[in-house]
Amino acid sequence: MKFMQVRTELCVQCGECMKACSKAYFKEESKELSRVRVANVAGYANFSICSQCGACIGVCPTGALERDANGIVQVRKNKCTSCLMCVGFCPSACMFFNADKQTEPFKCIGCGICARACPTGALELFNVPDKA
Amino acid sequence: MAIPEMKLLAEWSYEPAKIHRGYSRETLYIGLGNKDGNYKFEKRPVSDDMIEKFTGGRGFGLKLLWDAVTGDTKWNDPENEIVIAGGPFCGITQYPGAGKCYSVFLSPATKQTYNSNAGGYFAPFVKFAGFDALELQGKADRPVVIFIDGDNYKVQIFESTLEDINAYTVSEELHEYFAKDEDDKRTISVISSGIGARTTYWAGMNFSFYDQKRKVVRLKQAGRGGGGTVLYDKGVIAMAVKRTHFTGLENDPADIKTIQRCGVSVHKRIHDLDDTQSKMRSVGTAHLTEIMDAYYILPVNNYKFGKHKDIDNISSQTYTSLFTQGMADGCWYGCSLACAKAVDHFYLQTGPWKGKPVTVDGPEYETAAGLGSNVGIFDARWSIEANFYADHYGLDTISLGTGMAFICECYELGLINKEHTHGLDLNFGRKADIMELIHRIAHGSDDFAIACGHGIEEAREYFAEHYGADMQTMKKIGMCCQGLEASEYRCQESIAQWGGYFLTLKGPQHDEAWLIFMDMVNKQLPTYEDKAEALFFFPNFRLWFSLQGLCKLPWNDIEPADNGIKYKGVEAARVPEHLQNYLDIYEAITGKPLTRDGLIEQSEKVYNFERIFNLRMGRGTAKYHEAPDRALGPVWEDEWNERPDYFDEKLKEFGENIDGLSVKEKIALLQKHRRGQWEELKMAVYKRRGWNKNGIPTLATVKRLGIDYPDVVELLNKHLRPEDEF
Amino acid sequence: MITVNGDKFPWHDGMTVAQLLAEKNYKFRLISVWVNDCAVEKRLFDRELIPDGANVQVIHNISGG
Repeated sequence: MKFMQVRTELCVQCGECMKACSKAYFKEESKELSRVRVANVAGYANFSICSQCGACIGVCPTGALERDANGIVQVRKNKCTSCLMCVGFCPSACMFFNADKQTEPFKCIGCGICARACPTGALELFNVPDKA
Repeated sequence: MAIPEMKLLAEWSYEPAKIHRGYSRETLYIGLGNKDGNYKFEKRPVSDDMIEKFTGGRGFGLKLLWDAVTGDTKWNDPENEIVIAGGPFCGITQYPGAGKCYSVFLSPATKQTYNSNAGGYFAPFVKFAGFDALELQGKADRPVVIFIDGDNYKVQIFESTLEDINAYTVSEELHEYFAKDEDDKRTISVISSGIGARTTYWAGMNFSFYDQKRKVVRLKQAGRGGGGTVLYDKGVIAMAVKRTHFTGLENDPADIKTIQRCGVSVHKRIHDLDDTQSKMRSVGTAHLTEIMDAYYILPVNNYKFGKHKDIDNISSQTYTSLFTQGMADGCWYGCSLACAKAVDHFYLQTGPWKGKPVTVDGPEYETAAGLGSNVGIFDARWSIEANFYADHYGLDTISLGTGMAFICECYELGLINKEHTHGLDLNFGRKADIMELIHRIAHGSDDFAIACGHGIEEAREYFAEHYGADMQTMKKIGMCCQGLEASEYRCQESIAQWGGYFLTLKGPQHDEAWLIFMDMVNKQLPTYEDKAEALFFFPNFRLWFSLQGLCKLPWNDIEPADNGIKYKGVEAARVPEHLQNYLDIYEAITGKPLTRDGLIEQSEKVYNFERIFNLRMGRGTAKYHEAPDRALGPVWEDEWNERPDYFDEKLKEFGENIDGLSVKEKIALLQKHRRGQWEELKMAVYKRRGWNKNGIPTLATVKRLGIDYPDVVELLNKHLRPEDEF
Repeated sequence: MITVNGDKFPWHDGMTVAQLLAEKNYKFRLISVWVNDCAVEKRLFDRELIPDGANVQVIHNISGG
């Protein structure tokens, strides 16, 4: 399974991760469209990125959220009715929405694009084989 | 087990209208003929005037019904209709509680218009199929099932092959019948009633949705007023609708961003605060039992008492342990308040399905109290069983609970006896016999059961005529008005709530106002003018939800954490930030701005129209606004003696010297004073509403609201008398 | 003696908002409390002392479902 490791102490708040993410999925560089968010809180970086905990799966009334073979929680747009309950119920506020682009919510799917763009190694994607 | 194939009797294809900004601007008319198999289908246009004056939902229902009937039409005439309509909000998924609709019809119980709301997927699917309302008129010549195919834009009428007409059977069978496979079952919604619709006036309509997690059919009820009885009288066993694909944009709103912003803020608030506020997600409205008990508001033994030592047996803790947790219990997509609780794997102890495990929807507070404390039973599992069978039989749990509470008191008072009840011992708390009475009422098993199922007003006529029961006594204790049984709150100590129950359009439900805390505990409504203002604002504000296709619960069963300290006085009770959400979303859907005053005026048009409609049906005047003694204070000594000091104090507040008076004399004195207060309240409320002393809207009122249609004015001119003017 | 929602109610030394609510059996959760016209935050209910002679308003903030 895949998981993203965050080392906040290495972050220099350059914003490259957010640019790379939004560019990859929405074809433009915008913090508002990124699936990883880094905010400056009292001078320190504060990361919002999905931990793939799955709380949203239980909240979704249509079964549009499901965990894939890599352990990543995916939004299946064809089943989604854009109710955004998952946004309100995400325990770490890492489900995002922006109606200018799409009515469905969006989230980190562990692709690693942000980690590759990170110049300091604050973000790193691991791929761990499942236990037998 | 699948039902035999149903024979197609009639079919009609249509070109669907596109929904734009909340409206398709077309309604569907289905005529069943007059027992002659003469089926008729039509699309009917929705005019600008209809939108402006009636908005949608219940407003559309009343307007369409008005056009379909005359002042002489009876509930079981073919002209009577069932109109089901959502409203401009209906079907949005981004804000909690937007899957509701209202069913409007002439009621067998109240003999005037009734409107009853339900969740479930039916109304949104009908809208997505292209219709702002569904009108059903006439009587079929045989039992039929109506199917609205919102995928292929067809309406079909089938000859029913359902042998068992009870709700869970019908709903499960039809989800199976019309779905391609298991996954497709969520695309269906069914309306059914049950066997209680044959002989009672208490049959409601069950609206279904398919619970994908549990893999069972769930039911939500438009329970009150006898809509199921009307449906059965029309020969309709069920109506089903199918709609496979839909998005969050079916309403084609003007501004989806605003809707999403409002929705997410409330979803988050519910996530953060529900556990410390109303616990809707874990226990639903049943969280109220012990709270009502703490304030003497829980109805115990036909509203005689307000609390009980065994309350823990039916407390929220008990119900939380019985309800399955962690389910997406919303009755429409996007309802994060998710109050539709259910008990799974419940083994029935009685009745036709004895021994069978079932999923029971509920109980909600009303059912937990009505089919519980009000009949003297403090056993959650008994209430759950009663809840299941009431739903299955199509019986309204509130009318059934309040009706049986009245019957139990008649039995305790010796007004009726075991011979009349055909062997049932109906003292309060007699679990087995009261459960048996439910089965008998549903099946119309004997003359007594049939009389009970006609509701308190008709039952007491029957008891007087056939059993010699004393009518005056029964009038004092029967908690009903306008042919409808009261819902499950004790209102004796709140003058404002007397109005909230008994100065209403359709009888003592609490749909219009729930002012007990504001009035009795908070003391925020000290004068009659204050009470009248509350009985103007809240009924109109709350009616607005019924025009839009909205549930009221997300308005005030969750609130911003600082609502109570940011806003003072009655303003806090309006939950201003949620009220603003509704105004913002209304504009975001329809593209038309709406102010708070504009919202109230939208409602006022329909509120007054409904009042005038009831006048047209031979009611709707002051004499139909009556409150039984039990609603105003203690009737018997044991009630007084539950809180003797409290009631003594109340008498002293009237300046009475009560030394040496017997309890009986004190009761009479308190009733006399409260009767006087009731009359004062009535006049203050009528005046505030723009009505005359006889409770009829004045010409100035209907002109101000723009509902001065020629036939409305003609009707008013017949009834408005100079001596009734304020 | 204090006044609670317009009615006299016995006061005792060290009386907190939480104690008053318990003594009145005010079990409802959507409640807001004002002591001499000042709102008391919920998290302070078990610390906020009510002075003798205070005018207390306990607002049950529901209009019903």
